[in-house]
Amino acid sequence: MTPMRTLAASSFKAPETAKSSRLVRLTLRGLAVALSVCVVAADPTDRSEDLTNLSLDDLMNIQVTSVSKKEQTLSKTGAAVYVISQEDIRRSGMMNIPDLLRMVPGVNVARLDANSWAISIRGFNDRYSNKVLVLIDGRSVYSGVFSGVYWDQQNVPLENIDRIEVIRGPGGTVWGANAVNGVINIITKNSKDTQGGLITAETGSEESLEGLAQYGGKIGTKGTFRAFGNYFNIEPASLVGGSEGADGWHGSHGGFRSDWVLSAADTLSVQGDLIQTAEGQTVTSVIANQLPLVQTFNDRIRFGGGDLQAQYSHTLADGSELTLLSSFDRSRRDEVGANVETKINTDLQYHFKLGGRQDVVAGVGYLLTDETFTGLIDGYFSPDRFHDSLFSAFLQDEIELTHNLSLTLGSKLEHNAFTGFEFEPTAQLVWTPVKRQSVWVSAARAIRQPSPLDENIHVAASIIPSDAGGFGVVQISGNPDLKAENVLDYELGYRNQLNRRMSFDVSTFFSNYTDLRTTEPGAPFVATNPTHLVVPEMWGNLARAHNFGAELSGSWDVTSRWRLNAGFSVLSMNITPDASSRDTTVALTGGYSPKHQAQLRSSVRLSRRLEWDTSAYFVGALSNGPVPAYTRLDTRLGWTMGESISFSVSGQNLLSPYHLEFLNGTLVQPTLVERSVVGKVTWRF
Amino acid sequence: MALLVLGISRIGCVLLALTVAAGIAGADEPSAEEYQVKAVFLFNFAKFVEWPAAAFKSGDDPFEICVLGRNPFGTQLEDVVRGKTVGKRTFVVRSVSTAKQAAGCHVVFVGGSEQKRVQPVIDELKGASILTVGESADFLENGGIVNFKIKDSRVRIEINSQCAERAQLRISSKLLSLADVSKK
Repeated sequence: MTPMRTLAASSFKAPETAKSSRLVRLTLRGLAVALSVCVVAADPTDRSEDLTNLSLDDLMNIQVTSVSKKEQTLSKTGAAVYVISQEDIRRSGMMNIPDLLRMVPGVNVARLDANSWAISIRGFNDRYSNKVLVLIDGRSVYSGVFSGVYWDQQNVPLENIDRIEVIRGPGGTVWGANAVNGVINIITKNSKDTQGGLITAETGSEESLEGLAQYGGKIGTKGTFRAFGNYFNIEPASLVGGSEGADGWHGSHGGFRSDWVLSAADTLSVQGDLIQTAEGQTVTSVIANQLPLVQTFNDRIRFGGGDLQAQYSHTLADGSELTLLSSFDRSRRDEVGANVETKINTDLQYHFKLGGRQDVVAGVGYLLTDETFTGLIDGYFSPDRFHDSLFSAFLQDEIELTHNLSLTLGSKLEHNAFTGFEFEPTAQLVWTPVKRQSVWVSAARAIRQPSPLDENIHVAASIIPSDAGGFGVVQISGNPDLKAENVLDYELGYRNQLNRRMSFDVSTFFSNYTDLRTTEPGAPFVATNPTHLVVPEMWGNLARAHNFGAELSGSWDVTSRWRLNAGFSVLSMNITPDASSRDTTVALTGGYSPKHQAQLRSSVRLSRRLEWDTSAYFVGALSNGPVPAYTRLDTRLGWTMGESISFSVSGQNLLSPYHLEFLNGTLVQPTLVERSVVGKVTWRF
Repeated sequence: MALLVLGISRIGCVLLALTVAAGIAGADEPSAEEYQVKAVFLFNFAKFVEWPAAAFKSGDDPFEICVLGRNPFGTQLEDVVRGKTVGKRTFVVRSVSTAKQAAGCHVVFVGGSEQKRVQPVIDELKGASILTVGESADFLENGGIVNFKIKDSRVRIEINSQCAERAQLRISSKLLSLADVSKK
């Protein structure tokens, strides 16, 4: 949908926060050691050297980088944006999108079991995180039931991803409801860039098999296509007690994308997918129709879904651009109940210049969601079918105030079935005092609209045994009057491309949340058949939070063969229930997100055919769980043989035989992340 | 905090190990920004390609290097040719958006993102004594003469010799020997 301007990926440390001085000193010491040794290896090529004196042969032997092209655009952006490139993806050796997101400072990624993750941006992490919007080529992949993402359903073959753009902070003005803490946009390659055949096969100690077969070709003179099939089978991991979990899974995915240049002014992309997965999890749940039975059992999850989308762009004579995006999604997921979801979305967007100084994007959109949720093991949805018609319109104007100062103003206006009209404005000021450096400040409001989980659910959350032989049930009920959760967010950022080899950016934020969801106990009453006490709890909007934090990221091309990326983030979450709230746990939910995260990645090209990549990710302890801090260390050796075949071997999570990343599974029992080795062959023809 | 420090010091160790590794990686290779290198190639084409006499008004008529559509060079192309001469000819860099504007250009560069959009213009330039230079996989198939591709992080050149002949451009054997030559 909205083509976010492509921005540079990067991470380098420029510690300025007072809060973590000890950490900073240690990190600086590490960097100092690296610096002192690396100066020896630094590239002697001076950028001012006149390449025109080189012979053609020498010119052809120069290694090229495309850093500056990307970062020129970056310097004008008034938001904390991070881009994971295809090169980053390939060289990470990682096998799924959740793990790739670890590269972005400020993103919280925790694996719950082999097929589920808790992922969020700037806190509020949960398996059912509901404050980050996720899009694949502009199509929202939100589940309408809980307004979050089932990450196991988002199986884009990594080879086909062009880049993943992550915006931290509210994106409500352009992206709409639920882009509260950020937006993750997964952008796949144009089919003209995936011509020819591609076969990959991967096997490892935790993964028995993954394979991709793809072919891309031309359709007439104006069109290109690719079609692929993908299969994977992942082994179960161990439960905390040591016994084997039920979280093994397998799946298959077929898909295509076709891109057409209809004329000099018109382009069309059509793409579609069919995905099927079968997976398991260990669940402990109250069985609603056999009260007071609480059972731990292996739940089989089955998911089948398909999507189809088309995007048409027309460039008008004056250079303005009109884009129409339509998509259709249908899926069925069986997981402690059966959820059938249909989504139909249409967005129309117009991008034009107004006078010499204004760049305007305006759009209207319509999203129809239809859900049924039946057979829930611990309760029911009432009603069990729901529709939401979301109408939206937005306008965003980037105004060049002076040659180095630009102001962006905009707002979205939405109407949804749950809370009616919502308004999501933003203001950004970007100052570029000198070339390659910029400072931005911004203020924005965003909302999370309630979902059927908030309004229609009735579940038996837990059983309270009683000495007298009877029992009580804690019954959570949806609240039809629930309001949207709000955030007012303020940011200050600085970005500096020190030279051709080094760049960093710092972003700091203060976010003020109101009307956060709480569970409010009501008056207990006696129910019959069998006779028991019901302790009702209903969702309320009686908490607020003041969160603040900072993220640093930078990249450094130490030599032309060696790149370092570093990142660091701090987060302070302070959730407080209102005086009228009786929720005793909401204040603790901040403890599901780490306060500190740090990372260092290194990519070395050992020779023309050999590359070596290593990355370390430190994730601070979670006070709620509790879950101890851990460091993930991965290393990868890649070897290209001839034109078309390449091999790689990766070791992942090398520092310990196993570790735990998240405990709050909402019914689901977590499994341990194990050390693993993976081998991969890629053949292009 | 102890765990935090442990984590960081582990990262420090990794860093150190990598530093040593980079030392092993040994002598560094020269590197430059992609479009700086491509700009230098465009400059070099003036030396390694011969235009028919009719392409110039006079013996000291400047070389015109044109960029069709969006310009990916920033100021790098201007920076490269500033003050340079080949024979008596100086260089001029222009941005063009139509075939009409491209009349008088000797080299027309088409950025990768622009090719599809400006294909009709490329079609119109076919046969004119203009060295069309692109950077997308199907540029030569679509009537271009020279194409840049990136292989092993280096700029490689592909030439469609038949299109060059049709445009009455003579490409030096030195340049041909370094390029992938196709005839169609």
